[in-house]
Amino acid sequence: MNAAALRDRVAVVGVGRTPYSRDSGVSTQTLALRAVRAALDDAGLAHTDLDGVACHRVGDSVQAAIVAQSLGIRDLRYHLDLFGGGSQSHWVVGSAALAVATGVAECVVCWRAVNARSEFRMGGTGRAAPDTLEFQYQAPYWFATPPQQLAMYGRTYLDRHGVTAEDLGRVAIAQRAFAIDNERAVMRTPLTMDDYLASRPIVDPLRLYDCCLETDAAVAVVLTTTERARDLARPPVLIAGAACGGGTTLFSNGRGDLTVSAAADMAPRLFGQAGLTPADVDVAELYDAFTPLVLMQLEDYGFTDRGGAAAFVASGATARGGSLPVNTHGGHLSEGYVHGLNHVAEAVDQLRGDAGARQVPGARVALSTGQPGYVAGTTSALLLRSDR
Amino acid sequence: MSPVRPRPAVERDSTPWWDALARHELVCARCAECGRWRWPPRALCGACGSLEWAFAPVSGAGTVASFVVNRHGFGGAFPLPSTVVLVRLAEQDDLLLPGGWSGAPDGAGLTIGLAVRVGFEDVPGDADADPYTLLSWRPA
Ligand SMILES: [Zn+2]
Repeated sequence: MNAAALRDRVAVVGVGRTPYSRDSGVSTQTLALRAVRAALDDAGLAHTDLDGVACHRVGDSVQAAIVAQSLGIRDLRYHLDLFGGGSQSHWVVGSAALAVATGVAECVVCWRAVNARSEFRMGGTGRAAPDTLEFQYQAPYWFATPPQQLAMYGRTYLDRHGVTAEDLGRVAIAQRAFAIDNERAVMRTPLTMDDYLASRPIVDPLRLYDCCLETDAAVAVVLTTTERARDLARPPVLIAGAACGGGTTLFSNGRGDLTVSAAADMAPRLFGQAGLTPADVDVAELYDAFTPLVLMQLEDYGFTDRGGAAAFVASGATARGGSLPVNTHGGHLSEGYVHGLNHVAEAVDQLRGDAGARQVPGARVALSTGQPGYVAGTTSALLLRSDR
Repeated sequence: MSPVRPRPAVERDSTPWWDALARHELVCARCAECGRWRWPPRALCGACGSLEWAFAPVSGAGTVASFVVNRHGFGGAFPLPSTVVLVRLAEQDDLLLPGGWSGAPDGAGLTIGLAVRVGFEDVPGDADADPYTLLSWRPA
């Protein structure tokens, strides 16, 4: 096995986003195609350059095949329509990168398109049961939504390490401070600790401001070979590593300790593939459907010792000017919730130097992560680096 | 809107499990080759690869691995407050089951590691639906 076979061979060459809103007024098909077109425009490519498509969804969005048809791709060389939410998000891009690196396809667009506020609320109970056999063992107890599921795991971590509400609040506050400088962000008013602590309880131990923003939006990224990328309009952002890993269900899962996510097993493989270490990372976009996940991933990806994440955040390390700025777009908590793809897009902005007032000076390496394997049973992440 | 408890969507693999619950028996799937427990029922043992297994009774003893207290009603869908526990069965470190809590609805007195014992809650049927039984954990 050649663990470095993917390293730097594929590049992100275009990023596209629709506006983020509470009601897009259009279908997910329209959102997806608008984001794809924006990403193509950014790359200086045409829809006729595409020969592959990839997305993830949970029965809440347009099929990848319909998008491929709409784009007029007759010779569809790569197609992925992955079942799953945020845990799968980065494997959509990673898997597409494998297709490009092996020559199966040359130019693949990856997206996530959701009307997650106006049509299909992940945190709602009116939706259809997820396509899993396990829902029957949860729903009869009124245990059916992601905030409840992640609160269940989160409590084990808080309890183990004595993490307080204020510790979680500091995560939300630091991200809001970045969102203020992000014109796309849904939440741009400053957040104080008093605001945080006064926000209404959702499911103990989570408050409102521990939870992501259900959003209507689509985000797309275009991949091609690094060789071709160097001839295109924008500075290439290279995929240094891409990995998926196992997970931690709420059932018998081989992982008795719920305080450590499956990302801890995957991270050494990801860094090894890229030839990088946590110390090389300049900016981290960590999957933040809920605040505890940010603290847990700081440990699971090796940025701090076990139990050290709250102090790391309190030190200012993850804020603007810190040693490891985290969720520089505001994350799912403050920018909007596009199920991980907006993290990839922000990482690309940072590595191109396109992030404006929230730019991390000289950022060359970014980690972008999917949900670290809780509930779903898989996780995924990317290491990206600039070609400068 | 008053909360309507979602009925379990019983399927082929789980029918014997729900039937056991209705008899106030807690069973889990156990590998016939290596003896490792798993839940929910799955056809193959991830430890040894065997396809041979059977439902077998567990002791009903466990500890609280975690718990949550619902404070937001999701549009009136949930009773408030209400508590859900995740129980780690005594039989095996990774044998986890979500379930209801027989104690205070706000989870008062619950802590991670609390010793618990299985209990059952019979949900009556009506003209349209058969009765069924849920887990309702209590302090040991
Ligand atoms: Zn076995």
